[in-house]
Amino acid sequence: MRIALDILQVLLLILGAPLVRAIIARLKARLQRRRGASIWRPYAELFKLLRKEELVPPTSSAVFRLAPMVLFGATIGAAAFVPVVHASALLGSRGDFFLFVYLLALGRFFLSVGALDGGCAFGGMGASREALVSSLAEAPFLLGLVAIAIVASRVDIAGMVAWTLGQNIFNISAVHILAFTSLAMVILAETGRMPVDNPTTHLELTMIHEGMVLEYSGPSLALIEWASAIKLHIMVALLIALFFPWGMASNGSGWGIAVALLLYCTKTAVLVILLSVIESSVAKLRMYLVPDFLGVASALSALAVIFTMWVKR
Amino acid sequence: MLIGPTGALFVLLAVALGVAVPVILMASRAPGARRLAITLILAASFAGCVLAVFGFLGRAAPRLDLSWAAPFPFSFVVDRLSAFFLLLVCAVAIPVTIFAAPYFDLHYSERRRNWTWGFFSLFLLSMIVVVTAATGFSFLVGWELMTLVSAGLILIEGDSAERRHNVFIYLLMMHAGAAAVAACFFLFLPYSHGLDFEAVRASGAGMPGGIRAAIFLAAFVGFGAKAGLIPLHLWLPRAHPIAPSPVSALMSGIMLKTAVYGFVRFTFDFLGGGPWWSGYVVLIVAAVTGLLGILYAIAEDDLKRLLAYSSVENIGIIFLGLGASLIFLAHGVPLGAALALIAALFHTFNHAFFKSLLFLGAGAISNSAHSANLNELGGLQRRMPFTGAAVLIGCCSIAGLPLFSGFVSEWLTFRSLLAGSALINTKAQIILPLMVGILALIGGLAAACFVKTFGTAFLGRPRSTGAEHAEEAPLGMRTGLALLAAVCLAIGIFPGFLLRPLVALAQVLIPGAGVPEETLSIARILPWTAAIVLGTGALVAVFKRRERIARTWACGLPGLSSRMQYTSTVFSKPLRFVFAQVYRPDRKVEELPADQPYFPVSISYRSVRTTSYERVFYRPFVELILSLAYRLRRLQTGNIQVYLLYIFLALVSLLAFLRFER
Repeated sequence: MRIALDILQVLLLILGAPLVRAIIARLKARLQRRRGASIWRPYAELFKLLRKEELVPPTSSAVFRLAPMVLFGATIGAAAFVPVVHASALLGSRGDFFLFVYLLALGRFFLSVGALDGGCAFGGMGASREALVSSLAEAPFLLGLVAIAIVASRVDIAGMVAWTLGQNIFNISAVHILAFTSLAMVILAETGRMPVDNPTTHLELTMIHEGMVLEYSGPSLALIEWASAIKLHIMVALLIALFFPWGMASNGSGWGIAVALLLYCTKTAVLVILLSVIESSVAKLRMYLVPDFLGVASALSALAVIFTMWVKR
Repeated sequence: MLIGPTGALFVLLAVALGVAVPVILMASRAPGARRLAITLILAASFAGCVLAVFGFLGRAAPRLDLSWAAPFPFSFVVDRLSAFFLLLVCAVAIPVTIFAAPYFDLHYSERRRNWTWGFFSLFLLSMIVVVTAATGFSFLVGWELMTLVSAGLILIEGDSAERRHNVFIYLLMMHAGAAAVAACFFLFLPYSHGLDFEAVRASGAGMPGGIRAAIFLAAFVGFGAKAGLIPLHLWLPRAHPIAPSPVSALMSGIMLKTAVYGFVRFTFDFLGGGPWWSGYVVLIVAAVTGLLGILYAIAEDDLKRLLAYSSVENIGIIFLGLGASLIFLAHGVPLGAALALIAALFHTFNHAFFKSLLFLGAGAISNSAHSANLNELGGLQRRMPFTGAAVLIGCCSIAGLPLFSGFVSEWLTFRSLLAGSALINTKAQIILPLMVGILALIGGLAAACFVKTFGTAFLGRPRSTGAEHAEEAPLGMRTGLALLAAVCLAIGIFPGFLLRPLVALAQVLIPGAGVPEETLSIARILPWTAAIVLGTGALVAVFKRRERIARTWACGLPGLSSRMQYTSTVFSKPLRFVFAQVYRPDRKVEELPADQPYFPVSISYRSVRTTSYERVFYRPFVELILSLAYRLRRLQTGNIQVYLLYIFLALVSLLAFLRFER
């Protein structure tokens, strides 16, 4: 029963991911006074791309073909760590957040390598910029999680969530506020959203993620796009699970799970609205201001770790 | 006495030693001699592996006493710690030797090849002596031999002024380090009867704090110089890249590890932990080493120099674990100390394998493409797919990605740093978890560095005719690469095989330590993670059915050329820009003619990355030594009467000393 629920959570993260992305796009369109595409369009696009023939550059090697598969596999692996409707996850109760973060890094490594295999300038440009952003984002990401892990004295994400569930919502400490801020900033950078990267750009001066996937087409492109949608969804779910888990089902009863699912959708909707407002209202940062942005996130998360001294136990 | 495992040890030592001489003497006349010698080296390494595995699992601790043949106590023992490092030396030696056989054949003339093989086997022997030595003398003999033989191996490769200068720096720093190592032993002398390791160990507990601190510092400096801790790493990026690739693999892969062995032997085994501040010193030096090491590595375009700097970084990670372990030990938490020590030793093991793999890969590349400059490579994956796959595994391992070996040890280090938050001491409670951030930054930069390395060397279009006409490496070289890559993969998914004996080893070195729960959980979770990741990856492969080769759109130009690709230099530019303070490049823009700034005929731009630490740390030091040397020269008058006077004075003072000592 429990395992079935855990698998269901992973499926929810995977299958719901395109929807989350589409809703953000739709909300952004509305904020810009456009109508926007249907929220089911990403599914149709994935379906279309998966059936299409794939075009590969003449200079590319097996790595180019392998990269999307590894990226997709690693992202699914990471999805198995995040609790959604109850404080447990397929791998989340045994594996810890270090493994989670590094699985995402595995996918990113292969995506960057695949981009360099295209043999054109844009892939290299995207990979080089991604290297800058992701190498600086890793420290605040882990430090933010470390702060919460110390407070909860657990290292598995499911355990951290279970600890937070047992706390009073008004009992949150400075550590949580600092860690939340820094993780939210990191997630903007990690998932390639504004103000770090513009997901809708096709201008070579500004693109990071788009630059890397430029040479991909067909099923490979579908896998990459799906994986990045899943990554965004995982990150949103992670924020919810770590900081606003209240309402998760405490036992396996159908009623409790239904309520938890409903609450999860509501919380996701709130975060998604927030994200689209932010994306519509801020300008993209100049490339060399991104390290400052991540520097602030690192400082906040380091402070969070230091503050655990006073809140703990 | 000389039977069973002990006999095997004896045979191993004698065989490896014996190989060197006949090869040099005979191989030029008898064509089969070299092949025989290589077989002997392989057999010796294999025997060493078997012996080490038995010792590592705690089945036997063979001893060998050669004091009868030497003027001082000269014996060897393979206890658990020695066995672990003996395993490293011998297990890495096998693939490297297999690789080296075709490599040396392709690169050297008959005569130099024989010398190289002779020194090669002596180099292995010296490292075996170091890690199995049971007395101070046998240790120091091996230590010295190791330095000299490796310097010889570098000089065989070529003989330019620059090379000699680099070897000079190498020898100078190694001897300064060796002096500190010798000082460690001699500081024990007043308290122990003799330099037998057992006597030294017994005396460790009863020494005054000051002497213990002095021994710790001397060990840290002495072994730190050999390991390449910043700021004592100066020799490393100079000496490693100019050696032949298989020798670089041995130097980076296992010679640096003998320093880790020495440090662990002294601080953990002999002293049982340093003074309370020792852990913090090690931790901070290690953090600086790791961070600067990887930053310098990213900026490099020469593959072998990049790998050398990355060795500096990995030594930093190893010492992060050792530092954390010392802190735990100082606060009386043996379990945490054991975990951190296991992490450090595990990373030592991993680094030995993936760094040898990468250096051998660099050898295969420069052999096929006639260049090791990343800006002249590219497109090699299509031309040498096997080498490419092996190097990709090495790159993933060194970047610490899950399912590859490097991740396990970095994970253990992370967890031991995180466990520091449970200590009672405020300093430790803050510093250790914050080090997670430093290690994460190092890991992120390492991933960026090896995306660049693999991406520019193997992917995209070839950037030179050499790379364009590259061919797959010969079978022997591929076998060596495959063996090393297989270890990286196997350990990455099933770390339990190595973790269990490592836990036992840590329990020997840290009395009272239990089994850290982390070592069990990582061994349990990784196969499952691998199953999910690889399973999904394989599952989605079914979607990829049809594909068509299509030219890349070139923005309307007739076609793309390799000059339009990102090079290694450009790739690292954003990071170099952000960390400009670290690199401090010397830039020079020259416009000609100088009197017409608006109509220049030619503009030349040169940017040389300076090593800022050299200016800060070494210049004053070198100047001090030189001025001292000039002053000391006054003693050297060239007048024989004055020298006789010195001898007379020395004799008188010695006699006086002996008289008054009673």
